[in-house]
Amino acid sequence: MARIIGGIGTSHVPTIAMAYDRKKQQEPAWAPMFEGYRPVADWLAEKKPDVLVTFFNDHASSFFFDLYPTFAIGIGEQFEVADEGAGKRPLPPIRGHFDLSVHLAEQLVNDEFDMATFYDRPLDHGVFSPLPLMLPHDPQWPTALVPIMINVIQHPMPTARRCYKLGQAVKRAVESFPQDVTVAIVGTGGLSHQVHGERAGFNNEDWDQEFLDLFEREPERILAMTHADLVRLGGAEGVEIIMWMAMRGALPSNIRTLHRSYYLATSTAMGVALYEGAAPAGAAREPQHAGAEA
Amino acid sequence: MNRQLEGLEDLEGTYPFDIRQSYRARKLNRFLWNLRLAEYRAPFVADEAKACRDAGLSDFETDLVLERDWLAMVKYGVPMFLIEKIARVLKITNLEIYAIFRGESFEDFLKTRRVPDAR
Repeated sequence: MARIIGGIGTSHVPTIAMAYDRKKQQEPAWAPMFEGYRPVADWLAEKKPDVLVTFFNDHASSFFFDLYPTFAIGIGEQFEVADEGAGKRPLPPIRGHFDLSVHLAEQLVNDEFDMATFYDRPLDHGVFSPLPLMLPHDPQWPTALVPIMINVIQHPMPTARRCYKLGQAVKRAVESFPQDVTVAIVGTGGLSHQVHGERAGFNNEDWDQEFLDLFEREPERILAMTHADLVRLGGAEGVEIIMWMAMRGALPSNIRTLHRSYYLATSTAMGVALYEGAAPAGAAREPQHAGAEA
Repeated sequence: MNRQLEGLEDLEGTYPFDIRQSYRARKLNRFLWNLRLAEYRAPFVADEAKACRDAGLSDFETDLVLERDWLAMVKYGVPMFLIEKIARVLKITNLEIYAIFRGESFEDFLKTRRVPDAR
C-alpha cells in the first residue's frame, strides 16, 4: 500500500528560479536561501520518495479565468515546464504517476471533493521554481510528481479549512492506493508578500514565524482565519499559505519539524520546512534528528 | 458579499481580484494572457496600438497598455500575474513594477528592502 512519509513546505516565488538559473549559489545575497534547501534535498536523497504530491497554484500560465478550477488534479505521465513569457527554463519535464493521479481523482470525487482534472498543461513556477533546489534533475528528475492545483489568485478561493480537508482526503486516497509507493506531500507558496497595489512589498516576519509555529502545533488557529485575516497579516498574495494547510491536512495530526528556514530578501519572504509524523502527545518522544523514521 | 473578504474594504493599497473584476477586465486580461505565447508577442512588439485594436480592447483599456499604467490596471481588474506577462515582453522586472505601485523611485524602493542585492 502507498504511504505518506513526510511533508515539505516551500515558497515558490520566481526569484528562486532566477537565482538558480543564473547560478547565484555563492553570492552573499542568495547563499542563505540556497542553504535553506539543503536539508530538504538531503532528506529527499535519503528517503527517495516515489512521488511528490504537490499542492501548487497556476499563475495564469496554463489556466485562464474563463474556466478557473478551485481544485484540479493533473493526470498524466509527464508534465512540461511552462514558458511564462521569458522563454522556457532549462529544466527537463517531470514524470507524472498516471495510476496514482487517476486513483486520487477517483477517490477524491467519491469522497465529496469534486476535483477538476487536467492534462497536457505545463506547470509554471508554482511547481518548478523551488524544485531544482530540492532534487537533482540532470538528465532526469528522480521522482514522479502529481500536481494538485488550488485557486489562490481569484476570489472566491477555497478557505484555509477547506484546503486542510482536501489534504485529509488526499491522505485517505493515497493510503488506499494498492501499489507500494512512498509519497511526500509538498505545499507551496507564501510566506508573507504582496505583489499588487500601493501595499506591494508588504512583509510581516513576526506573522511568518508565528504561522510556522502554529502550523506544527496549532493548525486549528490558522484554519479559523478568513482570507481577510490572512491578507492583513501576510499580504494579499501571502494567502497562498492555504496550500501549506492542504499539505498539513495530509500529514498526521502530530508532526515534528525536521527543518525550518526563513529568508526575506526583496519582496517575498521565503520559507522552507520539512515535517514528519510524530508520536501522539504523551507518548515517548522520538529522537529529533533527520534520520528518524516517522 | 464574499464573507471571507469582510473587513478588507478599508485596507489601503489592496485590491482583491475577484470574479466581478475578472469579468469586467476579461478582454484585456485575455490579451495580456496571450502575450505568454511568442505568436502574440511579435505583433504586439511591432505595433502595440494595432495589437490592442485587433484584440478589440476599448480605448480605456488600450490607454492602460500604451501608458503602462500598472496601478490603474490593478484597480480595473488585472491581476499582477497578468501584468507579469506584458512586463516580461517589455523587459521590466517585478521589483520595478512594485516601486511604481508604491509611487517610489526604484532606488528608494530598494532602500526599503532587507537585501537589495538579491536580484
